[in-house]
Amino acid sequence: MMWSEKHRPKKIIDMVGNEEARKSFVDWLVKWKKGAKPVLLVGPPGIGKTTLAQLAAKEFEYDLIGLNASDVRNKANIEEVLTPLLGNVTLLGKPMIFVDEVDGIHGRADFGGVEALIKILKEPTVPIILAANSAQSDKMKNIKKATKPIFLKPLPPRLLGLYLQKVLKEEGATLGPGATIKIIIESRGDIRSLLNMAQAHVTGFDPQTEKSFKTLNIDAAINAFFKAKSKEEAQVVLYSLRIDPREKINAFYSSIVSSNLQSKDLAKMLDIISEADMLYGKIMRTQEWRLLRYLDNILLRLYEENLPVQFSQYNLSWPLLNRLRWDGRTIKALGALLAKKFHVSQSTIATFYLPYILFCIKNKKLEMEFSPEYNEIIQKEIGLIK
Amino acid sequence: MKFPGTCIVCNQKIEINEMGLWAKGIGVKHEKCASKEVKELKCIICGGPAGCQKCEFFDDCDRESVSELCVCKKCSDSKDSFIAYQNAVKKNFALLNLKTN
Repeated sequence: MMWSEKHRPKKIIDMVGNEEARKSFVDWLVKWKKGAKPVLLVGPPGIGKTTLAQLAAKEFEYDLIGLNASDVRNKANIEEVLTPLLGNVTLLGKPMIFVDEVDGIHGRADFGGVEALIKILKEPTVPIILAANSAQSDKMKNIKKATKPIFLKPLPPRLLGLYLQKVLKEEGATLGPGATIKIIIESRGDIRSLLNMAQAHVTGFDPQTEKSFKTLNIDAAINAFFKAKSKEEAQVVLYSLRIDPREKINAFYSSIVSSNLQSKDLAKMLDIISEADMLYGKIMRTQEWRLLRYLDNILLRLYEENLPVQFSQYNLSWPLLNRLRWDGRTIKALGALLAKKFHVSQSTIATFYLPYILFCIKNKKLEMEFSPEYNEIIQKEIGLIK
Repeated sequence: MKFPGTCIVCNQKIEINEMGLWAKGIGVKHEKCASKEVKELKCIICGGPAGCQKCEFFDDCDRESVSELCVCKKCSDSKDSFIAYQNAVKKNFALLNLKTN
């Protein structure tokens, strides 16, 4: 189990750091009444915004309805999800709304959702908590006006150290002073990063724990994933690698197809990749970003001990790529020449005619004269005809 | 400096062409005054200064942007320091201790 989950605080008082911010938040919730401004928790990832909302719901006995940026992109979606909650509270218990990553909606991703959300924020009938990593964008300015912002800050390193020692003690683990200091510094006040790095280090996954996974290159991360000694280690790498999901799937795909794998393993892995790809396609189609949480679980199934997979940027082998690049250019020029002779387009030549022309040349049914620069490629292509 | 100003640290004039650090909404200070100024965090356990000047993380701690309360060396080295931290939070931020309210 991930330490960041295992050691998640059970009560608001058990959290570490941001004491003043926590106090303001609790104060807001204690005094909350219909029409009171919603609260906006602003702060970098991993310092407890979501935890704070979850614990508040638990301790104040609210039913937390969690939404994320994907749910509030769309005006119709907002009305569908939130209106019933705001309209008849008694039927639905004691709801509290938590919208995570509101700053994640921007540009073309916003289908009128932000405006609809702001309208709701102005007349709240239930406590609404919003969370954002930053409150700088223009859209956030409007949200900020309609809410009470509470800023959560990264933790000072020494306080992080105190917490790390407590977790290590509970885990019965130890870290050398050098590694401890390095982990504290590299986590930059982010508790989740701190615990991920410490867990990775303690479980013996050495080389990459020296760095924050957030700054780890995709190539190093893919290599670390397949070199991991256990599924847990692979999970730590995967969960901490926060890059665009498309990029993540592509990196796994290109690395797998260009590695020397047995057909059976390759088929199994491609099956998993296609599952991940379908999930991403569904997310893009429906804008249901909450489904993204399942992506890592699917990709984790790619892990098996001692699989000879290494990161590759290109999804074809180098000789094939080389041939595409250089021979492709000559074939294109040849296609242009033949297109003129056969009075068809270049694409028709390339798609339909060329294989038959080459076949006819091979069987000496067609005689054509080409300038010498094409002889080599024609012979090469004929050689490939089975 | 392109324009003259008054240092927010030493209250002395900063003349044109002199080096100064300026920030919108904050003001201007002499370069030497800015280097002298070290924000000191407070120890939540003993209530004293956290001793940032001598902290092992001095260079890596952005004191302007971190959560304001820290722990001093003495308190962090003491036995059961995390429990002491939790007790201090309970004492100083009683509102957070919801069960006791």
